[in-house]
Amino acid sequence: MTPSAEFVKKLPNDIGGASADRIDCRDHELQPWEKRCHALADVLDYHKILNTEEKRRGVAELGTELIGKLSYYERWVTVFANILFQKQILTPEELAIRMGNVAARHSREAAELAL
Amino acid sequence: MTGKIETQAGPLGVPADGETPRFQIGDRVTISVRYPVGHYRVPHYIRGKKAVVEAVIKPRALNNEDEGFGRNAGQKRHYYRVAIPLTDLWPGYAGSATDGLRIEVFENWLERTQ
Amino acid sequence: MHSHDHTPITVPDSAPGYYEVMETAIRELLTEKGLIQPGEIRRQLEVLDSRTPQLGAKVVARAWVDMEFRARLLENGRTACEELGITFYDDTQLIVLENSPKVHNLIVCTLCSCYPRPVLGLPPDWYKQKPYRARAVREPRAVLAEFGTVIPDDVEIRVSDSTAIVRYLVLPLRPEGTEDWTEEELASLVTRDAMIGVINVEARERILQ
Repeated sequence: MTPSAEFVKKLPNDIGGASADRIDCRDHELQPWEKRCHALADVLDYHKILNTEEKRRGVAELGTELIGKLSYYERWVTVFANILFQKQILTPEELAIRMGNVAARHSREAAELAL
Repeated sequence: MTGKIETQAGPLGVPADGETPRFQIGDRVTISVRYPVGHYRVPHYIRGKKAVVEAVIKPRALNNEDEGFGRNAGQKRHYYRVAIPLTDLWPGYAGSATDGLRIEVFENWLERTQ
Repeated sequence: MHSHDHTPITVPDSAPGYYEVMETAIRELLTEKGLIQPGEIRRQLEVLDSRTPQLGAKVVARAWVDMEFRARLLENGRTACEELGITFYDDTQLIVLENSPKVHNLIVCTLCSCYPRPVLGLPPDWYKQKPYRARAVREPRAVLAEFGTVIPDDVEIRVSDSTAIVRYLVLPLRPEGTEDWTEEELASLVTRDAMIGVINVEARERILQ
C-alpha cells in the first residue's frame, strides 16, 4: 500500500463524484485579456503548436495547489508558457524580458494618458 | 495494440487495423482498470464498471490520451458512447433507478464483458 | 473644469496584471517569430464573439417547428447545425439530446470544461467549477433542484459527461401554449441554461411583433 500513489494515480481534475459545495451561479464577464487568451488557445490549436489536449494535460500538471489558486485563464496562460518552453519555442529568459517590456510600456502609456 | 488482430474481408478489400469498430450498439462492455501516469480521459468513477454501447462515434479519431503529449498523428480508432446506470456508479444512489450516465470512451479502454 | 494643481486624472484602466502581461508577451513573441500571423487573434476574437446562445436557440426553435430538420438534427447534430450556417471551428462532433416527457438530459464535463462552444459560445463560470462538475454525475436531481428544476421520479435523467470529441446540446421540450408562435418568438424563449439542461424552457408572456 503506497499512500503517495493516490496523488499520481488520480489527476487533480478527475473530480466526478467528489463531494462538493452548493453551486455558485454567479458569472463574470470575461476581461479582454481573458478573451484574447481563449483566442490564442484556439489559434495555437489550429497551428498544432499547442493542441487542446496538451493544454488540458498541462493544466492538470500544474497540480492541486496552483489549480486552486489561479483563475481559469491564469492557468491557461501559465500552461502556454510551460509548454512553449518544453517545445523550445520560447525560452524563459526571452519571455521574462518581453514581459518586463510590456509592463513598462503600459506604465508609460498610463502616465502619458494622465498628463 | 495488444491482442489478436481480427481481419475481416468485406466485399471490397480488407480494412486496416482499427478501421472496423470493435463494438456495436447494444454490446455489453466493461471499462478497463489501469492507472496511467500523466494524462488520461477516462475518469476514475467509471473504471471497471459495466456499460452498454449506445452509439459508435464516427468518424474514428486519434487517441486523446496520446494527443495530450503532442501526438497529432497515429492510428485512429473509434470512441463509443456508453450507458451506465447511476445506481451502478454510486452506492445508495438516491434518485430514480432509471437515471443513467452517458460518456464517450476510446476503444482501447473497453473490453467485452465476459 | 480643470484644476491647475497637476494632480493626475484617474486613468480608467488599472495596470495590467501579471497574467495579462504574460498573455501579451507570448502573443507578441509568437507573432514576431512568424508562428502566428498578425490578425489571427483578432479574427478568432470575432469568431468567439459571434458564438452566443442565440445560435443554439435558433437550432432549437427550428427543431420545434420542422420535424424533418429535427430528425436530421438528432441523427447528426453537427451537419444539421451546419445547414443553418453554424460552423464547427473546433472540429468537434455534436450529439443533440432530446428531452421528452420521459427523459430529461443534462450535460457536464467532469474532467475540464468541454462545452458546445460553436453553438452556445463560452460556458458560464459555474459550469467550469468543481461543485457542478463533481456533483452533476453523482446527484443530478439535487443539482437541478439548486437551479429550481424538479424532475419527477418517473422521469429518467441522463447525464452526459463529455470527455473526448463529442459535444452535447440539450433539445428542451417545447412549452405548452406556443403552437402558433413564430420561430423567432420560440427562439426568444430558449436560454443557455435550458440547452445545458439545468432548467426547462418556460412560456412567458408573448411579446407580439
